[in-house]
Amino acid sequence: MSEVAPVTPLRERAGQALKDTFLQEALTIATTKFIGLRREAFDEFPEGEALRDQARAIKEATLQRLDHWLEMLIDSIERRGGHVHYATSAEDARRIVLDIAKRTDARMAVKSKSMATEEIHLNEALEAAGVTPVETDLGEYIIQLAHERPSHIIAPAIHKTKGQVAELFARELGRETPPDPEVLTRIARDELREKFLRADLGITGANFAVAETGTVVLVTNEGNGRMVTSLPRVHVAVMGVEKVVPSMTDLAVFLAILAKSATGQKLSVYTSLVNGPRRGGELEGPEEFHLVLLDNGRIRQIAGPLREALSCLRCGACLNVCPVYRQIGGHAYGYTYPGPIGILLTAMLNGPESVKDLAHASSLCGACADACPVRIDIPRMLVELRKEVDERRIAPWPERFVFGALGWLLQRPALYRLTAPLGRLFQRPFVRGGAIRRLPPFLGQWTRTRDLPPVAARTFQERWADLEREGRR
Amino acid sequence: MTRAEFLARIRGEMGKTRGLFEASPPTRPARPRERLDLLRRELSERWRENIDRFTREFERVGGVLHQVREAREVPEAIARIAGERQLTSVVAWDGDALGLDVAEPLAARGLTTSTAPGVEASAGEREQRRALAAAADLGVTGVDLAIAETGTLVVVSGAGRPRSASLLPACHVAVFGREALVESLLQAGLALEAWHEGAPPDWRGASINFITGPSRTADIELTLTRGVHGPKEVHAVFVEQGLAVARRV
Repeated sequence: MSEVAPVTPLRERAGQALKDTFLQEALTIATTKFIGLRREAFDEFPEGEALRDQARAIKEATLQRLDHWLEMLIDSIERRGGHVHYATSAEDARRIVLDIAKRTDARMAVKSKSMATEEIHLNEALEAAGVTPVETDLGEYIIQLAHERPSHIIAPAIHKTKGQVAELFARELGRETPPDPEVLTRIARDELREKFLRADLGITGANFAVAETGTVVLVTNEGNGRMVTSLPRVHVAVMGVEKVVPSMTDLAVFLAILAKSATGQKLSVYTSLVNGPRRGGELEGPEEFHLVLLDNGRIRQIAGPLREALSCLRCGACLNVCPVYRQIGGHAYGYTYPGPIGILLTAMLNGPESVKDLAHASSLCGACADACPVRIDIPRMLVELRKEVDERRIAPWPERFVFGALGWLLQRPALYRLTAPLGRLFQRPFVRGGAIRRLPPFLGQWTRTRDLPPVAARTFQERWADLEREGRR
Repeated sequence: MTRAEFLARIRGEMGKTRGLFEASPPTRPARPRERLDLLRRELSERWRENIDRFTREFERVGGVLHQVREAREVPEAIARIAGERQLTSVVAWDGDALGLDVAEPLAARGLTTSTAPGVEASAGEREQRRALAAAADLGVTGVDLAIAETGTLVVVSGAGRPRSASLLPACHVAVFGREALVESLLQAGLALEAWHEGAPPDWRGASINFITGPSRTADIELTLTRGVHGPKEVHAVFVEQGLAVARRV
């Protein structure tokens, strides 16, 4: 149980997001653009569909022999002079990174965008230990200056306007600028260039790690991943255990679909393959390389109900197509990982208790499963989570009562048949224009945002009985 | 937690899984080096189509291609790029890694040029070299693979092949011949398999980068902006007759 539950309830968080007119506009523009770019990229790439199947098969085959591939990865990295660490919890992972920072006398750490280090809340821990963490992805840099959290897996600051960024830079960096993305980007380049050259520690996540060669793979557009893995004297990568892939052949399959799913690019600008510390003859590269293998709830899902979610590439495609995410944005979810896959990952990291409301923040329309490059059946697992939330008696009691009563009734056909005439009787005062638009207070939540179809004048069962009677005649 | 305990936990959970369908991932080439040699011979017949496709894709991602007949025309092409932008200082790969020596001809054209040493340098010298690269206007590198499908330059680091030359200066000029061309990402996967077969040569570094256009971001209101951390401009000088690179990956 690693993350702190948000204080305000989901309904309120979502309500606030819905009232935020700028956020609404930003979300519509961003997600619509991402959807279009993704579609164009795959339209131009007929092999894509077969490669998605292959990618999924690689993930599944790797998971079936996860111990074997991890062992190979560890051996390969150690053979290259790198070090591997094992973290069961977020706290373990933080301690491992802090120990490395302390031992190497590090004062400043530059970071490239990494959801794994967000998940373990590493920045706060570094700061507390006297190491200044500097986020170097432009979006992450912006939200770090604003003391916020990312709102999208791959575009962390989409909720901010250029005007807000200009104000932020004026306040935090003392640099007055016009709200022009070009100028703002140049300022960030200046500020961060100096930090890249001065930092002691480079901290990254990993998009993949190749078992056979001991290679950690980072995908970025800005080039900060390259800076962070080449300029500081120590490089630490924090990676979930499920990110290992067997070979370079497998890696090529993932690279062919990852960027297309995320931003619609054929490839992101930089795909960096890191083979451990600097080798003799090189001018740049860290003297030390560390990989922190992170469990944090993943391992128990190998045989758990969320196993499929271990195939996730963190591309963000399912966020962009989700009708719920598109309305409420990332912050309303309240945890590190937003969107449909985020609900599953939150349950994985923090237990099913954490998603008792979030499990319902989906219309189960299936758009996420269609968009997922490795075809993860997210809706199926959301339904299973709802079931688990109910069985563990962590759902709110009215919900449990209604579902319990319904379940009891559905198992008793004779009684169930009686409910149709009863329903028709009791619904009479509420039906307006063929729909129930408002229910009394106790059930009012249901009709607050949607209509309830009334019991039919003749139910299917009643009509069937009529038909049978006619047939006999 | 130790390695043994960590892996034991994973095995414990794996033991609880039941009735999984066997997945069939793609098969890997048995002898990647031989396969790559074979592929290169095939590709040498199709280099004209491939450079056309590369050019199209490279330009789509914001790259600029300059085509020359032979290696000795390369310095002039680089000097022209520098001249048009009033750039004066250059860091470059060494001759063995690049396939030609650019230091002298560039100096003769008025460009302050430093080439990376092809052997291990002292910590002090490495520090100096880094400062030089950080201050340089233009970086010249070779290219180990050019992927036509995506307009990508694959660059392997090593002795005489500094990573910073394609990263710190605002303008990157990559030089390659027709032998570097491959068609697809999956073919690049084969090359990666081949490069990792057996122990790497002494001069090989620890970093391989796939570079697809200039550094970019869209983090502020999804407005595309170039040159956020890496180069703002990426040029490729293509040598039709090919380059004789001594230290080939």
